[in-house]
Amino acid sequence: MASFSTNEFKSGLKVLIDGDPCTIVENEFVKPGKGQAFNRVKIKNLKTGRVVEKTFKSGDSVEAADVIDLDMEYLYADGEFYHFMMTDGSFEQHVADAKAVGDASKWLKEQETYLITLFNGAPLAVSPPNHIELEVVETDPGLKGDTAQGGSKPATLSTGAVVNVPLFIEIGEVLRVDTRTGDYVSRATKK
Amino acid sequence: MMGRPTATRTILEARASLLSGLRSFFEARQSLEVDVPAIAKAPASDPWLDSFAVSDPAGLHVGYLLTSPETYLKRLLSKYQCPVHAIGKAYRANEQGSEHAIEFTMLEWYRPTPIHPFQAMVSEIQDLVETLTEYGRPDVIAYSDVFEATYGLNPHQATTDDLVGFSSNILGAKAAASLDFDSHLNVLFATEIEPHLMNHIVINFPAIQSALARLERDGADSVAKRAELYIAGREIANGYHELTDAVEQSARFDEDNRRRESLHRPVVPRDDALLDALTSGLPESYGVALGVDRLLQVMTQSKTLSECMTFTGHL
Repeated sequence: MASFSTNEFKSGLKVLIDGDPCTIVENEFVKPGKGQAFNRVKIKNLKTGRVVEKTFKSGDSVEAADVIDLDMEYLYADGEFYHFMMTDGSFEQHVADAKAVGDASKWLKEQETYLITLFNGAPLAVSPPNHIELEVVETDPGLKGDTAQGGSKPATLSTGAVVNVPLFIEIGEVLRVDTRTGDYVSRATKK
Repeated sequence: MMGRPTATRTILEARASLLSGLRSFFEARQSLEVDVPAIAKAPASDPWLDSFAVSDPAGLHVGYLLTSPETYLKRLLSKYQCPVHAIGKAYRANEQGSEHAIEFTMLEWYRPTPIHPFQAMVSEIQDLVETLTEYGRPDVIAYSDVFEATYGLNPHQATTDDLVGFSSNILGAKAAASLDFDSHLNVLFATEIEPHLMNHIVINFPAIQSALARLERDGADSVAKRAELYIAGREIANGYHELTDAVEQSARFDEDNRRRESLHRPVVPRDDALLDALTSGLPESYGVALGVDRLLQVMTQSKTLSECMTFTGHL
């Protein structure tokens, strides 16, 4: 099994801590003038998303985690699992469970490309693109003449996500939404 | 862009002003500024210092880059018996991080002081901080007080078994079990104490951390007469009431190599020139080393040491 020594630590490195895949967020070299050196490291657990601080003796090694990020297209959900396909032309399919998909489930749109994190070959996490275009399937009727300022109202999108939109938005319109904040960005340009 | 200066113009000006401030401080105190070779025949013996070896184009060994100018300054002190200081580059292999660099600027000074050298040293470090920075006069605290306040233990009486539980919380049980007593103290001090020292001089270290400092009885405890300056949670300077006994110095050297062996680190050749200086007579004195880049880092409230260095990432 591959391993990394503390002097190879850098942010983004994927390591195995207590059996869980983790990524190094920050690595700090600590050494008293006359003493043993340590590395104080901020580590994000890729399963739980929690960030913890750990200290290592400099020179110690940790196991590498078999973690890769790949672009995949979303195909469909079968009620229990979510199906994705590689975009590299191999048509290789991967199946993610609800835990791996997490909050991304409300941004899943067919034929859209997602970043899938694989751990030991199985999907561990699904990240949507930062911006996505989705159709409004339900919202209160807009107020005539109110085209610019003032208020907002909830709108349900085709994926089930609910976002706050300006009052002039109507059912059937396609919106550009920021998936990181869940905020409405703009109307999508007409195709 | 590769190879361009990394410090801002403002930082370079602060750096120039700090260097000239330090020089004025020592000039006013009748200290002789000396410049010493960058290469020495013997490396530092401290178990946790790695020196760069220097070789000529044919690959023949020449010597070692200084990890501090100590050996040369003590030889000067022995011959001229006067206060000396040097501002120059020091080199430490394998030390790289947001507060470390393999090549850095060190100020080191020695002052013969026949009466109460330790107190004189502490007050001179206080004067320096008060004169040159906006942090004011540092508070003085005993290592045992700050250690006991944090861990509820007297570090001078504690054993490895007393400390391993605390170290396990920080490093995990497996890594903690492999540490010796000195390394336990280092990890405990560096993680839970040092970050809280805003402008303090810590005095009277555990005997195992004496390096080249005198040992002295303090009640029931044997303490190392070391004083370390911390500002904004960072180690800035390290001072010793210096050993003057050549026999003791030689024993400490052997002890360093024994520890190096037990830590599976390379043993180093003996610094005979330094031992000669002690044999021919070192005055009762103290010596302090100060990291100039670190001091500039806290004075300018820079996040990293590299912002305070003229060039970084050039190697």
